[in-house]
Amino acid sequence: MARATQVSTRSRAAMLIEWRSSRYVRTLMVQTLAYLVVTAGAVVLMIPFAWMLSSSLKPLDRIFVEPPEWIPKPIMWRNYIDAWNALPFTRFLMNTLFVTLLGMGAGIFSSCLVAYGFARFRFPGRDVLFIVLLSTMMLPYVVTLIPTFVIWRNLGLINTYDPLVLGALFGGGPFFVFLVRQFMLTIPMEMEEAARMDGANTFQIFIRIMLPLIRPAMLAVGIFSFQGYWNDFLAPLIYLNDLPKYTMTLGMFFFLGGPNEPPRWHWLMAMSTVIAIPILAVFFLAQRYFIEGIALTGIKG
Amino acid sequence: MQDYLPTFIRFLAVASGIGLTMAAVYTGLRALGVRGEAATGYALIMPWVLGFLIWTAFPIFASLYLSFTNYNVIQPPTWIGLQNYVRIFTKDIDFWPAIRITILYAFFSVPLGIAGSLLVAILLSTNIRGLGVYRTIYYLPSILPAVATALLWRWLFNPDAGLLNNLLRPIFGLFDLSPPNWFGNPRYVLPAFIIISLWGIAGSNMVIFLAALKNVPRHLYEAAEIDGANAWARFWSVTLPMITPVIFLQLVMGIIGALQIFTVAAFIRATPAAGKFMNILIYQAGFQQFRMGYASALAWILFALILALTLLVFRSSEAWVYYEGARR
Repeated sequence: MARATQVSTRSRAAMLIEWRSSRYVRTLMVQTLAYLVVTAGAVVLMIPFAWMLSSSLKPLDRIFVEPPEWIPKPIMWRNYIDAWNALPFTRFLMNTLFVTLLGMGAGIFSSCLVAYGFARFRFPGRDVLFIVLLSTMMLPYVVTLIPTFVIWRNLGLINTYDPLVLGALFGGGPFFVFLVRQFMLTIPMEMEEAARMDGANTFQIFIRIMLPLIRPAMLAVGIFSFQGYWNDFLAPLIYLNDLPKYTMTLGMFFFLGGPNEPPRWHWLMAMSTVIAIPILAVFFLAQRYFIEGIALTGIKG
Repeated sequence: MQDYLPTFIRFLAVASGIGLTMAAVYTGLRALGVRGEAATGYALIMPWVLGFLIWTAFPIFASLYLSFTNYNVIQPPTWIGLQNYVRIFTKDIDFWPAIRITILYAFFSVPLGIAGSLLVAILLSTNIRGLGVYRTIYYLPSILPAVATALLWRWLFNPDAGLLNNLLRPIFGLFDLSPPNWFGNPRYVLPAFIIISLWGIAGSNMVIFLAALKNVPRHLYEAAEIDGANAWARFWSVTLPMITPVIFLQLVMGIIGALQIFTVAAFIRATPAAGKFMNILIYQAGFQQFRMGYASALAWILFALILALTLLVFRSSEAWVYYEGARR
């Protein structure tokens, strides 16, 4: 009897180990497969980048060589200098920075103000207005594009930077208001109440208490709007006429060659790399907030 | 400097104007006997209210009005009734191809993008080491300026020297064929644009799916496992229903975005017959030919299309989107 129990105990243990190890093998296999697929996908995604970098360092006539050369011979670092000097890119960079920083600053501050109103104060019609705000996110920009252009034209502000930046003062766009409001809702009321007891007014509370607490949301808005302004192409295309006023993206557009001029691929790839660098830098520096910011907005509808 | 200063001064002026409006709204409402909290709330949302009235509400109606007019920006608009619309539907040879490619582009790129990014998100949610690196790599394409993306892909799709055809040439060679002339042959334009879109949108969607997958309650999986559900069944009956709200969100935002493709299409000057998406048509009519009325009519058709498709998705959502909160 005792022996039988022992046997059955032992076999049960063996079965358990076997079961565990089979489970372990299965997890390992699933993990390996996941790795393989994910890595393959990552490689495929990175190939275009590598090709862009490689092409940007080739002499124009070596770009069309077959089979493709991954390591350029010789490596043409001067492509970057030549491309930069072929058009007034230093000026384009200053223009882009002016538009980006002004628009970004205005968007952050303005969206925080509006979000504060929606998140912390009760007033009749608030929820309806907020739904209106959300639904404007779905409105295609082309519908408002032409009348907006006409407004700026009647104000005599075509070929200035005003149409690119002044809009950001009006709440910075529904997406930013939404993002900041969602973040504010997660912050407990106690600190504001305590400050109010101490006699601080709404403006002081907003500046001294609220803004420091919502720094991650502000950073997310900042990165999004940096990306938006830096990459923007349509608005500069429509509103800017004089070459010296162009932004980087617009400068590149007219770099593409024309009916009688072939595109200079090596320069285009060099400038594509240059234009991507600040975005990559910002992304690496603030990746966590960036992804948090999106995740927050994506989930809590 | 002389270019920046006027804009900067007007920037400060508009900012102070908005500030003054906020103050005026607050004092005005208080004088009318409105509670302090409500008056502050109204004052704080003033920037958006003004923005909504000036940059959204007014332009919507103005655009609708302009679509019934002939307007070249210099002379005042003249009312011509439905002529723009009639012309678009009957005479404009670019219109139907543009509608076709715009819809087909959204139809293929959005679901494919969602499926692909969901797959990647699921793979990445299995406690993989080096998750941050993968996450960054997958995210990279979507933060690259659309301009750079477009140029890069134009270059990769180059029929003679592009990387893609260099890779495809041996394969096509087996059948004695030459690889496709991507943007030169109308047949390949759509597939090429879809490939570009998949490269660009997979990343940001993936991040949102990753967060959604994390939010699925563990106990549901445990319960399913006890009931003997295998991995596939768990995915099908737990994961998928729980993330339907996020899929729905992606679908709606994806459709709205895909129907408005512009920058990539503007940079990739595809064969004139095939590469014209609706937004390109609108841009050309409005800002190259200065037929603003005509362009407004095109914009309204696109708007109607977006609205119709969005409503369709909203309607269908009742059948397949599962809201946990709604059934409690």
